[in-house]
Amino acid sequence: MVAIGAAMLALLLLVVVAGPSIAPFNAAKTSANSLAGPDATHWLGTDSIGRDLLSRLIVGGRGTLTITFVAVALALAAGLVLGLVSGYVGGKVDLVIMRLLDVVFAFPVFLLAIAVVAALGPTIRNLIITIAIVYTPTLARVVRGPVLSVKRWDHVEAARSVGVGEFRIAVVHVLPLVISPILVQTSLTLANTIFTVTALSFLGLGPPPPDPNWGSMLAEARQFMELAPLTVIGPAVAIVFASLTFIVLANGLREVLDVGNR
Amino acid sequence: MMRMVALRLALTLPILLGVSMVAFALMRALPGDFAQASAGTTTISVEALDQIRRNLGLDRPIWAQYLAWLGNALQGDLGLSFATRRPVLGELVPRFLVTAELTLIAGLMALTLGTCTGLASARLRGRVDWIVRGWNSLLLAVPNFVVATLIVLLAGLYFPTIGIFTYVPFAEDPVANVVSLLLPALSLALTVSVTISENTRAAVLEVSSQDYVMVARAKGLTASAVLRDYLVRNALTPVITVTGLQMAALLGGSILIETIFTIPGMGQYLFESVTTRDYPAIQGIVLVAASVVLLVNVAVDIAYARVDARVSYD
Repeated sequence: MVAIGAAMLALLLLVVVAGPSIAPFNAAKTSANSLAGPDATHWLGTDSIGRDLLSRLIVGGRGTLTITFVAVALALAAGLVLGLVSGYVGGKVDLVIMRLLDVVFAFPVFLLAIAVVAALGPTIRNLIITIAIVYTPTLARVVRGPVLSVKRWDHVEAARSVGVGEFRIAVVHVLPLVISPILVQTSLTLANTIFTVTALSFLGLGPPPPDPNWGSMLAEARQFMELAPLTVIGPAVAIVFASLTFIVLANGLREVLDVGNR
Repeated sequence: MMRMVALRLALTLPILLGVSMVAFALMRALPGDFAQASAGTTTISVEALDQIRRNLGLDRPIWAQYLAWLGNALQGDLGLSFATRRPVLGELVPRFLVTAELTLIAGLMALTLGTCTGLASARLRGRVDWIVRGWNSLLLAVPNFVVATLIVLLAGLYFPTIGIFTYVPFAEDPVANVVSLLLPALSLALTVSVTISENTRAAVLEVSSQDYVMVARAKGLTASAVLRDYLVRNALTPVITVTGLQMAALLGGSILIETIFTIPGMGQYLFESVTTRDYPAIQGIVLVAASVVLLVNVAVDIAYARVDARVSYD
């Protein structure tokens, strides 16, 4: 499972890193040859204003995935800090942090994301901030749970008795032991984020045009979908492939790292 | 029992308060200022802007504004919509009912599909288990708006004549209304069914290994009697909880689905409000949706404790 997931991830990373240089055409270049079916030059055909679909999928994938990775990295960083502090320090600090996260948790993720992006304005930066905020509570909880039990283990007490500082104990002696569930949850969060990013773009709240994005491509193609089904199926398959990558990866990691189902 | 309900609600109160603060803050977070936003795109003089500010109470300290807004919200006054100049609550209620109906149908579908696949997966094992788990992984990877778009595409390509995508109001024709919501509900239900299916599978496997099930088999009860009276009944408790907790996912998903199928529910209202930058409406929707999710969670907790005597919140 992990091997399959890693191979799929490698393909996604290739798209992010290489992006426009592996795209057969300039993704923004329009032509008179619109809504063409697939042929030898345009492998997946063209869209409503004659842009090469494959190139747009590659360049759009780069945009979608970059936002996803950066946003989840931020959420992970915030979740690690909050979860570790909350679980390790405990007491009133734990109570305050958890109640604050409960507030964010009370909103349907997608609804909160729409409202925040709408208030701040749809730019790439705001999109990343919003998604990071929305997914921080989930990650923080996943960190906090195991920290609560690991901090009572003997080796922590031993470290403390020989005079290791609390900060060092938390980072060096507790954090590495709780990393497995965090890896699994991060992978699942990546899958969810793909959904949130593309869904927001689908509603027109993604990065502003002309930057292609799988979500906005799907939305644009809906008008012409009976004429050129590939313009809908292309981004749809791309979205599914990307989320499937992270789900397969999460399932694989869960088996390899022996993380129980919740 | 009453004590437990009161306690659970009391625990939710601080979270609700936080939710209201977030909803209030959303309006404050907008670029420029609220007075300008409420005037729309028309250019107005500085004096007129000041007048609007005074009328809206924006010259008062922020905490006073929050308390005044909260007081109004508690009395059901969510302010006037920028777009229509009518009370937000009046606009919201009929749309909320549509969304509630859609969510309910989707929830029932997800529950049926999820429990059936989960039960089959756990009881039959082997190849069925593999197929169900593969199917679930795939479903989890297909976002609901992609499902909805593909449904519309397939219907357009192969059944162009049937008008299944026109929403019929409930008052007009209840049967046609429910029928018109079936496909939208299905696209919402598929993802949610995965969680229910996985939890059903886990619960049934857990119950199957209990001693009382072995005893029931050993004393010669038929397989169907064991299934009905011992497995399903005991395994369903956690499943119902999980279904309730999926409310948030269903509500969030309905925003997209309603937009795609043009159903006049709360999701579509939110989308319209976002497009027209109708901040009081956005605020109202966010507040109502989050409160509903919180209250459903409380209800689920209480139901759980009612069904399972081992759970107590005292």
